[in-house]
Amino acid sequence: MFITDIRKEFYEVVANQRVALLVASDVDALCACKILQSLFHCDQIQYTLVPVTGWQDLSTAFLEHREQIKLLIKQDDDLGVPSYDDIFRDEEDEEGDDSGNESDDGSEPSGKRRRFDEVNIGHYWEILFDYEQYEYHGTSAAMMFFELAWVLTKDTKDMLWWAIIGLTDQWVHDKITHMKYVTDVATMQRHVSRHSHRNEDEENSLSVDCMRISFEYDLRLTLYQHWSLYESICNSCYTSCNFKLWTLNGQKKLQEFLADMGLPLKQVRQKFNCMDMSIKENLRDVIEESSNKYGLKDIRIQTFGVHFGFKNRFFASDMVHATAALLESTDKDGSDSDNFIKALESLSRSNLDRLHSGIDLAKKKLLAIQQTVASCICTNLILSQGPFLYCYLMEGTPDVNLFSKPMALTLLCKYLLKAFVHSTRNKRCKLLPLIMAAPKSVEKGTVIIVGIPPESEISDKKNFFGRAFEKAAESTSSRTLHDHFDTSIIELKMEDRSKFLDALITLLS
Amino acid sequence: VSSTNAARLNKFKNKGKDVGECRRRRVEVNVELRKAKKDDLMCKRRNVNSCPDEPTSPLQEKSQNAQTSRPWTVSEIVEGVNSNNIETQIQATQAARKLLSRDRNPPIDQMISAGLIPKFVHFLGMTNVPCIQFESAWALTNIASGSSDQTAAVVSGGAIPAFISLVTSTHQHISEQAVWALGNIAGDGSGLRDLVIKHGAVAPLLSVLAVPDLSEIPRDYLRNVTWSISNLCRNKNPSPPMPAIRQMLPTLLRLLHHEDKEVLADTCWAFSYMTDGPNDRIEVVVETGVVPRLVKLLGYGELTITTPSLRAIGNIVTGTDEQTQAVLDAGALAMFPKLLHHNKANIQKEAAWTLSNITAGKDTQIQEVLNAGLIPYLVDLLVRGDYKTQKEAVWAVTNLTSGGTVEQVVYLVQANVLEPLLNLLASKDSKTVLVILDAVNNICTAADKIGETDKLCLMIEECGGLDKIESLQSHENEVVYKAALNLIEKYFSGEEEEVQSVAPETTTDGYAFQISENQSTFNF
Repeated sequence: MFITDIRKEFYEVVANQRVALLVASDVDALCACKILQSLFHCDQIQYTLVPVTGWQDLSTAFLEHREQIKLLIKQDDDLGVPSYDDIFRDEEDEEGDDSGNESDDGSEPSGKRRRFDEVNIGHYWEILFDYEQYEYHGTSAAMMFFELAWVLTKDTKDMLWWAIIGLTDQWVHDKITHMKYVTDVATMQRHVSRHSHRNEDEENSLSVDCMRISFEYDLRLTLYQHWSLYESICNSCYTSCNFKLWTLNGQKKLQEFLADMGLPLKQVRQKFNCMDMSIKENLRDVIEESSNKYGLKDIRIQTFGVHFGFKNRFFASDMVHATAALLESTDKDGSDSDNFIKALESLSRSNLDRLHSGIDLAKKKLLAIQQTVASCICTNLILSQGPFLYCYLMEGTPDVNLFSKPMALTLLCKYLLKAFVHSTRNKRCKLLPLIMAAPKSVEKGTVIIVGIPPESEISDKKNFFGRAFEKAAESTSSRTLHDHFDTSIIELKMEDRSKFLDALITLLS
Repeated sequence: VSSTNAARLNKFKNKGKDVGECRRRRVEVNVELRKAKKDDLMCKRRNVNSCPDEPTSPLQEKSQNAQTSRPWTVSEIVEGVNSNNIETQIQATQAARKLLSRDRNPPIDQMISAGLIPKFVHFLGMTNVPCIQFESAWALTNIASGSSDQTAAVVSGGAIPAFISLVTSTHQHISEQAVWALGNIAGDGSGLRDLVIKHGAVAPLLSVLAVPDLSEIPRDYLRNVTWSISNLCRNKNPSPPMPAIRQMLPTLLRLLHHEDKEVLADTCWAFSYMTDGPNDRIEVVVETGVVPRLVKLLGYGELTITTPSLRAIGNIVTGTDEQTQAVLDAGALAMFPKLLHHNKANIQKEAAWTLSNITAGKDTQIQEVLNAGLIPYLVDLLVRGDYKTQKEAVWAVTNLTSGGTVEQVVYLVQANVLEPLLNLLASKDSKTVLVILDAVNNICTAADKIGETDKLCLMIEECGGLDKIESLQSHENEVVYKAALNLIEKYFSGEEEEVQSVAPETTTDGYAFQISENQSTFNF
């Protein structure tokens, strides 16, 4: 059922029960979980926490806890109830476009027709998929539960920070439109200023365990506070794509860019923390000015930062990258539930070491992503299949095991598509969605497949691959596993890959 | 008089020597359209597969790894399909398909001369390797989409039976491709169409639509099947075998009630092909009871559907009076004000053509046209229609004057048909001129019957018609000259006699005729 009044229909229902909290593996879900845990703690509600990675997990967990379960909350992004506006807007999109290649002049149809490889863009949207068959993300689950806590007047700064991280996760992983992000940031900003006013005396007086959240107009440079500026620029999607750092020209341009800012290479390459204070002081303005010259018009973005005590400063996106990296750590000794617990820990300010280890993992992941993007682009691994682009990471590609995880592969997919759009001169290809496949399990002989919508500034981030994957699997009886909550992520038997793709091409052509 | 009437009637519809006069014109138009459409198709190119490399890429220059996106050469494909490795064969077939699907200059002839067709046809039969069936089906589809020679090459490779057995493949994408290929082959012309039918394509094609609810079928698949079936109904000399038509009719009737526009359009075209023939062919269509549905589709409001449904209706009214009556009974005439004033000239023309065949029917049928208030529209088309439409409107008028009662002809004249009709005597086309002269003759005959000849002649003279007719006496075409001369002699040269009977009195402002008003109840 749809919950419309989260307090009455959800919280008051669970308040006197023992609750099984089933949490999906993404950062937003984890943040929502943290908020709920605090609330339950506050109201002394007993709960069992069960991480679930997909539908199979969910049903197992459900069966195991059946006795005690009164209400099942599926706690991932889908929980966000889409506003009715959204739904109606979708319906309108359905209408309009006259379909097809057939000319509209009413002349007699041709006696023969050649079948082209390519589909006229925008046409296949309506071929098989009505609006219900698109998948998209609503408001962050963490934000929803923060609103609940606020309604219950039990919201704390920690909860607010988690809500912010949940929202930032949606932005970092490109799940929502820029418009939606900015709107939600504004909502969060109001909460932030409310909280900073509320406890001005106690908490704002600096102390070792104080926590200060601030709205920031920061740089789109990933983890730069914990890296060197140079490495951050090289491994941030935004700068890497705009400079085309995988090309010699791009590298040259980057050097010019640094020179233009007047930053000595030595400074730029050393740890950000150790950079001269004089440089750091108005660094953001300096970078913005030079960026504008180099066509990077929107290098700054609205976000939030936090201070823990005196020296620990993090941006919301740092937290997202760190937690995501921990959650999908490919560390041999860690099981999924270990990863889950570690990721959850990294969100507590009491465990900054965990957070730092997450940041280290995240850096490795970003490096791997950038290198993979560069090699895919340079060796032309992205193929146009007609209705979509396709890229297959072969077994043996460096860091390929990292990309057996859904979030990492999705992020790679997004970065790769952005990079591709910047590098190709083929206008048609710029408008295509991308499907990536990577080995999932060598023993089982499976691959993981992710499909993402076309890259464009006006993209509504709606993903139709879920339905398409299902249909393609159905028509070829490919052995697929549609287990992930994100239906655009599936697992597939290696041998079935080509027939599955062919069916997909046919389906979308 | 009645015998001359009958003789004239024979000129229209398919009763007399001029059988299919209208239809002969139809064929010309058809050929024109089809050719235009083909050119159109040639122009409607789309850009395909190419992801230009980033030239500044440092790795690119070193890497020889670009094979992934480079198209294969035909000889590489030949080598590939002849290998013993099925994977290689698949890749080669796919590469061929991609080459044939590219936008410009698909290497169809190279593929044919490389002898690839028999190989591809062989792949069609590899039931255990669906993806090679699909790739080869697609490749052959595109080869068959070319010229007649290219299509014939596919057929002589034995593709027809292979494709027919794929129609019922459990893999829908393979089935769809086979259906498409058969459509291309059948679309080549009567010969290959009949060959496809002879190989038994009809039953499997219909079987894939044998589901309780057509909306269960994926839309594009349904569109392809519909289009292919419509191609099996298409082309004349000879028309498709009757048994095949009878076999397809129930399914086509069902498709005509489907909601998809493209399915509807192609189905309407199928009906227009099936009705484009002698009366017995029209009869099998009419007796399915499809006419009311076709009439309804006339008002669908989509050009893609209006055009073929109007064509079908127009074809049906070239049939017998009974067949025409079925159209009238379905309320078709109520649709005509819109059609005759349609913003597309082509629709106006087709509507006028249809009307001309209705006015060639019984006087009760003509009366229905009058009652529907369509004469003013016809007159309007004579004035401002485009040239082809004007010609059709002329036919409609002439047919009416030929088969209508005197009252009906009088009504026509009262609706001011004379001036625009006579103006068209300036036409360069002697056929049209003859048809107009015929109409004038008919109208004069009617006037004669009610003794209004003089008044009519005056009207003709007043609108400049007499001058035009007189000048036709020096027309280069002998038939025109004779017809004009005949009219003049019959109605406009009785000076001597008429001086006696209606001697004109000179008045201040011209001549005043004393018109004998004997038994006349009608006034022009």
